[in-house]
Amino acid sequence: MQKEKTVSSFTIPIGPQHPALKEPGHFLITVDGEIVTKTVVRLGYAHRGIERALEERNYVQCMYLLERICGICSHIHATAYCHAVEQLAGVEVPPRAQAIRLLVAELERIHSHFLWLGVAAHEAGFDTLFMYSWRDRETVMDLLENMTGNRVNYSANLLGGVKFDVDDALEGEILKGLEFLEERTHHYLDVVKTDIMFLQRTSGIGVMTRRQAEVLGAVGPTARASGVARDIRVEAPYGAYVEHPVNIILEQDGDLRARFIVRLRELFESYRLIREVLETLPAGELVGRVPRRIKASETVSRVEAPRGELFYFVKSNGSDKPERVKVRTPTICNMLSVIKLAVGHQLADIPMILTGIDPCFSCNDRSVQIRSGDNLQVLTWEQLRQFGA
Amino acid sequence: MDILRSFFAILIFPGGLCLLFVSLIYEWVDRKLLAQLQNRIGPRWFQPFADVIKLLAKEEVVPEGVDAGLFVGLPILALAGGLTAALYVPLFGLVPIYNFPGDLIVTLYLLSLLTLCMGLAGSNTLDRFSLVGATRTLTQLFSYEAPFLLALLGPAILTGSWQISDILAYTNSHWLLLTQPLGFLIAIIGLMGKLELPPFDAPEAETEIVAGALTEYSGRGLALFRLGKGVELLVGLTLIAAFYLGGVTNPVFFLLKTLLLLLIMVGVQSLMTRLRIDQTVGLWWRYGVLAVFVQWLGIIVLKGVLL
Repeated sequence: MQKEKTVSSFTIPIGPQHPALKEPGHFLITVDGEIVTKTVVRLGYAHRGIERALEERNYVQCMYLLERICGICSHIHATAYCHAVEQLAGVEVPPRAQAIRLLVAELERIHSHFLWLGVAAHEAGFDTLFMYSWRDRETVMDLLENMTGNRVNYSANLLGGVKFDVDDALEGEILKGLEFLEERTHHYLDVVKTDIMFLQRTSGIGVMTRRQAEVLGAVGPTARASGVARDIRVEAPYGAYVEHPVNIILEQDGDLRARFIVRLRELFESYRLIREVLETLPAGELVGRVPRRIKASETVSRVEAPRGELFYFVKSNGSDKPERVKVRTPTICNMLSVIKLAVGHQLADIPMILTGIDPCFSCNDRSVQIRSGDNLQVLTWEQLRQFGA
Repeated sequence: MDILRSFFAILIFPGGLCLLFVSLIYEWVDRKLLAQLQNRIGPRWFQPFADVIKLLAKEEVVPEGVDAGLFVGLPILALAGGLTAALYVPLFGLVPIYNFPGDLIVTLYLLSLLTLCMGLAGSNTLDRFSLVGATRTLTQLFSYEAPFLLALLGPAILTGSWQISDILAYTNSHWLLLTQPLGFLIAIIGLMGKLELPPFDAPEAETEIVAGALTEYSGRGLALFRLGKGVELLVGLTLIAAFYLGGVTNPVFFLLKTLLLLLIMVGVQSLMTRLRIDQTVGLWWRYGVLAVFVQWLGIIVLKGVLL
């Protein structure tokens, strides 16, 4: 006991079970007093073998499983997958369906960013902001529920189109909801920009320079807060984003404050997009016809999830089941920045820095450890499948 | 008869059981108001009682590697400190049960006992969250204790006595809030710092170090620490109300004034982001102490000029 106490630096385990983490992840944080000197991250606690399971299901069934990769951005996963499969099958998606996909995706972004605002405020110990932002988030949750019947896994996509239409009544509801949310977003933006106590916890904390963001491969709002213009909706517009271009939101500071501001400002962009889409909603079919079997080929699909770039690789083999589906979620891209940025900060800032990337552990838990120490471990295709990926 | 009366005063009313009961009610008011301000529903009125009773009924797990005597003894000492301090303050608007010259200092030290016990309890275990929590608790003790002490000594300087009943004799007819606003401010924020209420809850910041120093505590020990905090809240509120808000000469005034103070504290709790421990220390030593000294200087100079 005595020895333990004379050691001046020790490691603090955050996770796999810890109040700061809503999902399991493990961070070994070495501290010297309050200052962090080293961070080690261990992921994989929520690995579900989804990619392996996909190979046992046909293209339609796969979508339901993929929607359940993430409980927050379920629609964008299905969209990425649909884009890939439609590309493989050479199916043209009706413009109305494309527009509705965009609509749901942006509503989802609003819900995700509000959720993040609450979580981040809670990590900072500002529970009032947490409670209020989640109360307001209910507005967009209700809209999504009215539209699709579900609050979380909307299941709005079909291969070749969408399931749900938008009528005038719903349009009115959405516009009304947006009006309220827009007013609230102005208020929250004001809070994160001017609240002195809050700024003490965010301003200058976890600063990631533009160069660092590029080298560490940060994506999404995390990268955009460091001035890196990286947004798939802008770089490689997909679906209805071709007709409705997105204005990229950039901040230059790279600290937590910038990440708050980027996400909140993105909400305004989402409101604008949704209004634009509702105004110019093209008439027509909702679903295009997709064949059951898809000829052998492969493709990639990139979309902008609320957290950043979401990458899908789909390989077909001529049957009604995919040969291989590979998913890379934005959290895994941003995780490196947490390990890098944490060093030199106080222990109290770690939960904030971690939350700053908006982590989603169960989303990213699918990577296979190829390299361990010095010995390079190469897995064959069969072994990789066995492993479950 | 005298002995019987003393026992009654210490164990039943106004100290002891009655004090515990009222302190739990105050805890509920605190939680309910905070919940309402945060757009939540908040607990039912008996929730703090249910919590304490349930905790008391649970098994107390003594973790490996701790000094069992200390582990069990510290919660008792902490609660005893709070309950003893209550004997020297005008609880419920009544005359303090005991008094002697210098009892103000003793009371303030007894109030610090809780924090000290929590710090020791944290460093007694091998748990890493507890150790960090204990370090922070003790760091916070050194930062806010001085300003809080100095803030409550302001009225003492004015009256020239360190006996609570002497000070009360003066403050019952004077609202010191008007003449010593800085002291009042420091005292109320100091009380929040003592109780580790948000935004001064870095020592038990759940998103960083789980429950801080008390992470390893369960059952009886945790219940006693919580009761101790409740008692300290009530005693602290009583002292501030009595010194700065024109005294608490009857139960109605007592209720009104302490609840008003509680309302202010809840407001501060709901409006602010948790401070990091270095920010807490900086706040106290940079501004808190300075403000108190300015206040003192004012008192001493004015006293010299006027008297």
